[in-house]
Amino acid sequence: MNSIVDNTIFADLHKKEDWLYTNVSGLSNISFCENGDVDPSIISKYDIAVNNPLVVFVNGIYEEEYSRLSDGLSINDPNFETISNRSDSEIPVGKSNSLSITGTQKDTVHILQIVSGDAPVACFGNVNICAQKDESISVAETHVAITDFDHLFMPKTEVVAKENSNVTLVRAIRGSKEAYHLGSLHVVQHESSKVQTNTITLGGKRVRNEVFAYLDGENCVSNFDGMYMLGKNQLVDNHLRVEHNKPNCDSREFYKGVLDENAKSVFTGRIYVKEDAQQTDAKQTNQNILLSNDADATSRPQLEIYADDVACTHGATTGEIDDEALLYLQTRGIPAEAARTLLIYAFLNESLDELADETFREVLVEELLSNLPGGEFIKALYL
Amino acid sequence: MTTPLLEIKNLHASVEGTEILKGVNLTVLPGEVHSIMGPNGSGKSTLSSVIAGHEAYDVTEGSIMFNGIDLLELEADQRACAGVFLAFQYPIEIPGVSTKFFLKAAVNAIRKYRGQDELDAMDFLDLVEEKAKSVNLNIELLDRNVNQGFSGGEKKRAEVFQMALLDPLLGVLDETDSGLDIDALKIVAEGVNKLRSPERGFVVITHYQRLLDYIIPDFVHVLMDGQIVKSGDKSLALVLEEKGYAAFKPCGCSCGC
Repeated sequence: MNSIVDNTIFADLHKKEDWLYTNVSGLSNISFCENGDVDPSIISKYDIAVNNPLVVFVNGIYEEEYSRLSDGLSINDPNFETISNRSDSEIPVGKSNSLSITGTQKDTVHILQIVSGDAPVACFGNVNICAQKDESISVAETHVAITDFDHLFMPKTEVVAKENSNVTLVRAIRGSKEAYHLGSLHVVQHESSKVQTNTITLGGKRVRNEVFAYLDGENCVSNFDGMYMLGKNQLVDNHLRVEHNKPNCDSREFYKGVLDENAKSVFTGRIYVKEDAQQTDAKQTNQNILLSNDADATSRPQLEIYADDVACTHGATTGEIDDEALLYLQTRGIPAEAARTLLIYAFLNESLDELADETFREVLVEELLSNLPGGEFIKALYL
Repeated sequence: MTTPLLEIKNLHASVEGTEILKGVNLTVLPGEVHSIMGPNGSGKSTLSSVIAGHEAYDVTEGSIMFNGIDLLELEADQRACAGVFLAFQYPIEIPGVSTKFFLKAAVNAIRKYRGQDELDAMDFLDLVEEKAKSVNLNIELLDRNVNQGFSGGEKKRAEVFQMALLDPLLGVLDETDSGLDIDALKIVAEGVNKLRSPERGFVVITHYQRLLDYIIPDFVHVLMDGQIVKSGDKSLALVLEEKGYAAFKPCGCSCGC
């Protein structure tokens, strides 16, 4: 057992129903250290919006020197009440410096959580967002492992959206394709609040993105979206549970991804509708494009409904490129291979199209294109 | 003698083992507009798909020569680069990429094939602006994703704009009039007429005579059950309008003979 994390729990985790397709038992053999250094130039490389607030953590430690706090942001606020105890996540919870965000944040607050070291590092991340009545908050988190070791990062983000508030949150996993990211997002929504989250997975070897959402007020709107582009030896497991506890709420889970080589994706979306949560409108979609015969996508859409006047739908598609669209591009002179690349890009880019923060979107497109076979061709098209 | 732009000889084509085209012959010279009319299921759209290079159709017999080259030897994209343009009956929507972005890929692929330098962003946008003006297309439409959220008329106008931009030798219009009201039809026809030139030919496929009031063809062909059963000048379209397709059945009856 390590001092930082009890990694013995990972040995048998995949024997549980909720982890059936995601084997992280390799973690139980790793001896983790807590500290590691990072080259300051790396931090500036990931500091993409120099006019926006920025909060930097390296291996769970707050880096004041590189951070730019705005009003409403505080580090290690002791008064924060946790909501994650409502969720049955198996991911260990641990101590790290924490960030609390409240008050309207018109300029997107960027959070950079770096994991780095010359040996495997295990660390936690703790972000708490609380939008009070009528407030509006936009946050963009970047989770990045720098060095190619079996790092273990366990970032936890909590969102409380009070009455009539609006929270937009992007969480992007970038960088090394060797690290383990076991992250969870816990959301509690009150009346007429709106929450939009996008979980983007480009980096990591084994990635688990959990979302637990509790719609505790009427007329909530909740969109939990995700996108992934994975290659050799990468796996992402998007695991969601959305609880409709009050009537008249709309929720959407929309995850799409492209898998190359022997990449794997798992999607488990559970929508739970309580007896009196009438007029619930819940949608669940998972779309995958497989670029190789060795790639594998597993979709498990699940509905658990106790109310009788609801509209819940789920759909999953796994396939290849649409032939008609391919022909259309070819009849415009674009060679088949380039046309295929363009269509894959379009498929993924659709889920980035709506990201509120333009700079962040551009950076993600850039990284997406460097992961995408033939992505250079697309880069040349930018006007 | 002028090299025909398009010379189709005894073309037979099938899809999933069912023969749709059963010996089509058609010759289009530069500058000519040919209209192909026929009832539903006669093979009109199959003909346009085969010319464009749709892989789902197997050509089992016959040939298609385009400007002296064997078109059937080329992939769909090579045909486009050689100068064939197909305006789709149902243009495909592609969420996730803007029309401009997609067309820059198209223009530069074609230029590369033709041994020309690729256009940079500035020159490309100038070209887009010029061509959009020439067919009265609102340029803002091109910032939207490919055909996504376009009205029926906007989709067809965008197809004609793409044709203007890609500057083909042969334009094949597959039921471009379907789903258009009369005003939209006029605008689309006007765009096509502007592209008529002594070098360029058109094959206009349509179910109804209406479109031919605005795009006046040099020749009209009646396609029935996979064969051209009658050819004539534009007056043939009027006869069709009056008498219907049944009159052109080999035996004049409505049986399957």
